[in-house]
Amino acid sequence: MAQRVLDRLLNAIEGDDRLDRPGHRLEQGLAFAQNLLGVTRGRARGFLHGVWLGHPFHPLLTDIPIGAWTTALVLDLRGHERTARAAVGLGLAGALAAAVTGLNDWQYTHDDARRVGLVHGTLNTIALGLYGWSWWQRGRGRHGRGRIAALLGYPVIAISGYLGGTLTYRHRIGADQTDRRLDPRRFTRVLPERDLPEGRPHRARAGDVDVALVRSDGRVHALVDACPHLRGPLSRGWLRDGAIVCPWHGSAFELRTGESLNGPAVHPAQCLQTRVRDGWIEVRPRAAASPPGGTSARRQEGWP
Amino acid sequence: MRVKPQAPTRVRRAPAEHKTATRVLTEHHEVIRGLLGKLKETPPSEPHRRRALTDELFDELRMHELIEEEIFYPAMRDVTTGIAAAWSEHRHLSDQLAALVRADPRSERFDRELGVLHDVLESHARLDEEQEMFPEVERFAGEERLVEVGDRLRARLESLRSSRRARAILRLQRTLLRRTAGLTTGRRAGRARRRAR
Repeated sequence: MAQRVLDRLLNAIEGDDRLDRPGHRLEQGLAFAQNLLGVTRGRARGFLHGVWLGHPFHPLLTDIPIGAWTTALVLDLRGHERTARAAVGLGLAGALAAAVTGLNDWQYTHDDARRVGLVHGTLNTIALGLYGWSWWQRGRGRHGRGRIAALLGYPVIAISGYLGGTLTYRHRIGADQTDRRLDPRRFTRVLPERDLPEGRPHRARAGDVDVALVRSDGRVHALVDACPHLRGPLSRGWLRDGAIVCPWHGSAFELRTGESLNGPAVHPAQCLQTRVRDGWIEVRPRAAASPPGGTSARRQEGWP
Repeated sequence: MRVKPQAPTRVRRAPAEHKTATRVLTEHHEVIRGLLGKLKETPPSEPHRRRALTDELFDELRMHELIEEEIFYPAMRDVTTGIAAAWSEHRHLSDQLAALVRADPRSERFDRELGVLHDVLESHARLDEEQEMFPEVERFAGEERLVEVGDRLRARLESLRSSRRARAILRLQRTLLRRTAGLTTGRRAGRARRRAR
């Protein structure tokens, strides 16, 4: 029953293209504001996405308002008026932080996820308004009104929290979207070395895996041709300050390690091991990280 | 294989013959490429010309994005799956364009941003649209529909180019971007000075 109702709700949101126009207006407004502030690249952006954590930052912050406002509900029931107001206030601070990080993530989503995200954000804004009003009324001693506003706001954040969850579990926003594959198992020829120009990504195939090859400062690098964020084709990207940039959302990755530098991707791009034999570039996957001296590390001898 | 852009962009009138949407857009890509090429050839010692060309590039590129987003992408949504990605690439172009407008035309940074803009543009216009999306659209959308969308694209482009309101908005955007550039770079320079101490 609940499953069917929620599913219908979700399908209705995902299929509603009337949400696209306000969504794009909002994004363009955001983009312009960010360009005025000069924060479209660089550290501020990466910080908000959670690059410094290697994990999306926004979902962490959402626990603050949900937790604090749940606490406020209990404190209201027990009649602790002043503590309840403090809990509501803490929730407000967390909600604002979640809004900033959430908007920053949302602007780099597509289609269905973008529509769900827009509704998620709208509901949260309504809840924020209700709790803001609640906090203000409580401050003026009108605790009854404050309680009613909180009671109205709680189901709103519950539904909105559900929508936020589907963005992760159903749309995989914030998840690492590259497949971790073992193929090709051996070094596989992908391209004659002289066909790879300096400084421009090139797409090649190794077995059935698409690979982005890059020559930078004379060294040949290979990455799986899918950005961990939404699988954008890195081979169609470009180099900026020695990092490869995803053409879709501008995530920049360190060529040697695949480390994400600015987001929206918070996970590293998958790098392959490369070597040149008989004038051909050959690649194979790197082994999964293992403790030094571990068996898989020993098996892969002769690594750089 | 760069085609020379035809004459000044502003005086072109809507000719009687009909063109497909993909041809209209590809031709406009060439106009933008032409502007970018001219900008690359202009040395830093001519900052005024650089600035004027940047303004023209800004306007043309923004108008190009606008007609694609308003007309072409919605009309082709059932034909190709590449729309969402193309939309993201527009975002990217706008960001890079803003970075260029905010750079001092005499500075080295301007050349760097221009180089990146070139890469972003080629990635979007050539690798994505001209090589993937347009052939797909031409295969599945049908000539008649493409010509109809093409007419709409051209009409909208013309009306944008001659609209004083559209021009004023673009000019306002450029001015705001340039004005705020001083503030943020000033702030950054201040931070660097503090670090140096």
